[in-house]
Amino acid sequence: MTFGVEDLTVRFGKVEALRDVTVAVPAGEVTAVVGGDGAGKTTLMRALAGLVEPETGTIRRPDVEHLGYLPTGGGSWKELTVDENVAFVGGAYGLSGDELAERADRILARAGLADARGRLAGHLSGGMRTKLGFSLAMLHTPDLLILDEPTTGVDPVSRVELWRMISETVAAGAAVVMSTTYMDEAERAASVVLLGGGRVLLSDPPGDLVAATPGTITVTGTPDDRALAWRVGPQFHEWNPSATPPGATVVQPDLEDACIVAELALRSGTGGDAR
Amino acid sequence: MRAMILKEFRELRRDRRTMAMIIVFPLLLLIIFGYAATFDVEDVPTAALGPQAQLVADQAVGLFDVITIDTDGTADTARTLLRDGDVQVAIATDTQPPTAFVDGSNLFAAQAAVGALGRLGDQITVDVLFNPDLITSWVLVPPLIGYIMMFIGTVVAAIGLVKERENGTLEQLAVMPLSPSSVIMGKITPYFIVAAIDMVVVTLLGMLLFGVPFVGSVAVFAVGVAIFLFVLLGVGVLISTVSQNTGQAIQLAIFFLVPQILLAGMIFPLSSIPWAIRWISYLFPLTYYTTISKGIMLRGAGLDSLWPQYVVLAAMAAFVFTAAVLRFRRDLVPRRHRKPDAAADGAPA
Amino acid sequence: MTAHALAARSLTRRFGDNTAVDDVSFHVEFGEVVGLLGANGAGKTTIIRMLAGLLEPTAGDARLLGDPPNRATQSRLGYVPQGLGLYGDLTAVENLAFSAGAYGVEPTALTGSLAASSHRLVANLPLGLQRRLAFVSAVQHDPEVLILDEPTSGVGALGAARLWDQIRVEAERGAGVLVSTHSMQEARQCDRLLLMSAGRLVGWGTEADIVAGETTVEVDAGAWEEAFNAVAASGALVTLDGRSTRVIDRSVEEVEALLAREGIDAEVRTVPATIDERMAVLARSAPE
Repeated sequence: MTFGVEDLTVRFGKVEALRDVTVAVPAGEVTAVVGGDGAGKTTLMRALAGLVEPETGTIRRPDVEHLGYLPTGGGSWKELTVDENVAFVGGAYGLSGDELAERADRILARAGLADARGRLAGHLSGGMRTKLGFSLAMLHTPDLLILDEPTTGVDPVSRVELWRMISETVAAGAAVVMSTTYMDEAERAASVVLLGGGRVLLSDPPGDLVAATPGTITVTGTPDDRALAWRVGPQFHEWNPSATPPGATVVQPDLEDACIVAELALRSGTGGDAR
Repeated sequence: MRAMILKEFRELRRDRRTMAMIIVFPLLLLIIFGYAATFDVEDVPTAALGPQAQLVADQAVGLFDVITIDTDGTADTARTLLRDGDVQVAIATDTQPPTAFVDGSNLFAAQAAVGALGRLGDQITVDVLFNPDLITSWVLVPPLIGYIMMFIGTVVAAIGLVKERENGTLEQLAVMPLSPSSVIMGKITPYFIVAAIDMVVVTLLGMLLFGVPFVGSVAVFAVGVAIFLFVLLGVGVLISTVSQNTGQAIQLAIFFLVPQILLAGMIFPLSSIPWAIRWISYLFPLTYYTTISKGIMLRGAGLDSLWPQYVVLAAMAAFVFTAAVLRFRRDLVPRRHRKPDAAADGAPA
Repeated sequence: MTAHALAARSLTRRFGDNTAVDDVSFHVEFGEVVGLLGANGAGKTTIIRMLAGLLEPTAGDARLLGDPPNRATQSRLGYVPQGLGLYGDLTAVENLAFSAGAYGVEPTALTGSLAASSHRLVANLPLGLQRRLAFVSAVQHDPEVLILDEPTSGVGALGAARLWDQIRVEAERGAGVLVSTHSMQEARQCDRLLLMSAGRLVGWGTEADIVAGETTVEVDAGAWEEAFNAVAASGALVTLDGRSTRVIDRSVEEVEALLAREGIDAEVRTVPATIDERMAVLARSAPE
């Protein structure tokens, strides 16, 4: 089963938050959504969760009983303990008794929260709270799991553990869509969607997407065109849409370079359809 | 410092909410309170009863505004009229000398009436009912309990909901298989129960500490309290739907709570407030609660005389709660008219 | 002896029972960009606030331009807090005028996309523009030291690259720059790195220094889900990279033995570790 959106346009008053966005979220895969502020990541996540009404377009998602959603920074009730959070969410999904207890044991053990079950969610560290939020969103084994920036600012060990939990979820057959600010995470996803200004700029498996970067990227200390260059430490990377300057050092682009090129192309009207 | 001052003025100019707080609110409060806050009682609704009723009515001048003349009336009629709050003074001429019954639950009117009657010396016997020693706390405590509950009910309900919004858990609730009404009711019921218990404790404590009597029916009172609490929680939910954070919610609650101190008849009798301002009083739930609580606790009044207050409060509860639930629902289910899985294709709206 | 732009000596800060910063020492030279890397809650902001003179250390020493932070040295500092320190009810130009007035300099003229938005209220600007405005506002008085708390958080790839460009320009002018970030990806933008975990400094040096010689075990198996699940179940720090499993804290032999026991056929090899993986190992080995 492939979930996702097709030709989705969402408008908030005069502001067009998403325009003609098509994203497929297949089962058994992680789909990563990247892009800056105002790119429309959160709106896309909320639309998939059924929290915003589209102006036009189609949304394919399971009914609420089979949908899991972790909003940015949220997902648990601070004044409840870990166990009380589990009991509340489990109850909302009609889980109870042994079934709930068995699932809670398993999921909390995997999240490394087995020793923290009596602690208030508000007293957990950021990483532990995120893992709790993830566990709650997963409690009812949803078919589609929507994660809005689950790893932003989370400590590296918790990030590794979260990514492992996400991987396990996918390996069990669920469809996972997550927005992220980290390119290294996006690189590990089965496919990457780059949003910019409410539109899909790129959408492909990360390898293909990098390989399809138009033109060449050269590394230099003195770029010819500052508008097409960006810093990488003390040096610059420069995008050459057509001809590579003679003698320049060409580098293999990474996903971040590919995303920057896509944004540059959108702005300059080269290779993309400019606004 | 110049840069600081310039910046502050520029900011202030654009922050309409704070500007309103600084300029409009004080003016409004000054005007309203200035006119409302008066200890002077000019008219005391009075009944003249018994064989000499007409004579009394003719002689009563100044303070006493005779609105009822009943030549068949007796001392018992007088007690009933006072209990039901129809008049504040009832002069019965079936005794010798005539007896003036005064409603002690209306403190300022009673004090004025007792003062004026006292000047008549032996010509008349004065009998202050319900609050014979004219104790301030007896009159103040019953509505004060309502005010305290209003403070707590409104603020607690508003904050409880705003917190879900601030923490981002409102969205989480929205995607769970919970119906909006079960979310709202599940959220409100605990507050209702806690507020009801709180109410009982505060009322008992008020009676214990201040010796305030409870003459009337507990059951009738309980029904009134329940309706009143419903209005309060509804206002709390309404406030939460228009507030993004706790600070805003408290600011709005203050706008709602402060005027009621003086306008709800808790301290100054409504009858002393000019109509230009008095109509505002009738928009506040505490006004009706004040009448109910004093009527039942002090005078032992029943539904037969208090039903208009019950009807108004119930109407308020229905209106506020419906508005609150509809607004909250819109927050919880942001325009989700369509079934999941169903295509939302077609022409733009 | 020339003073450092910034220096921390055994810097410690406790809040009640909680030690937010624990015995941290480092310095920042003029003209270099030093990255303070770590998760939310690792102690980055607390360090920054102590160096900027906004918070007293419980123990140790914070030095700004050679002295404990004071009014005089603070006037030579440019600081962008995480909350940006802009006034939402003022326009972009009015914000600049305010901070220029505070430092007694002429306001900088806005350029690029900021110029087009110069008379819009800051509250209505997109975050990327707000971050750039906060930066411009903080460098109007040509500070000798620049402290930036998560300047690129929430900004897209291009916007972040543009900000790093501006940061570099300041460093090339001679300013010592300390930048905090929770994104390991941004390590490559810095000359030197300080890795923070749970209040402690767990690693430092250039990115190359930090990952030098460090390795990760990569597992490629036909039945990638099985291989992943088997290794994950052993309690190892493990991540999925496409369909390859990366095992951070086990040797090739250990992983091979594990997979052999489960009867999973896989290709196991050693690959260079990434900075993220190194950070995870360092963070885990640090005492809580």
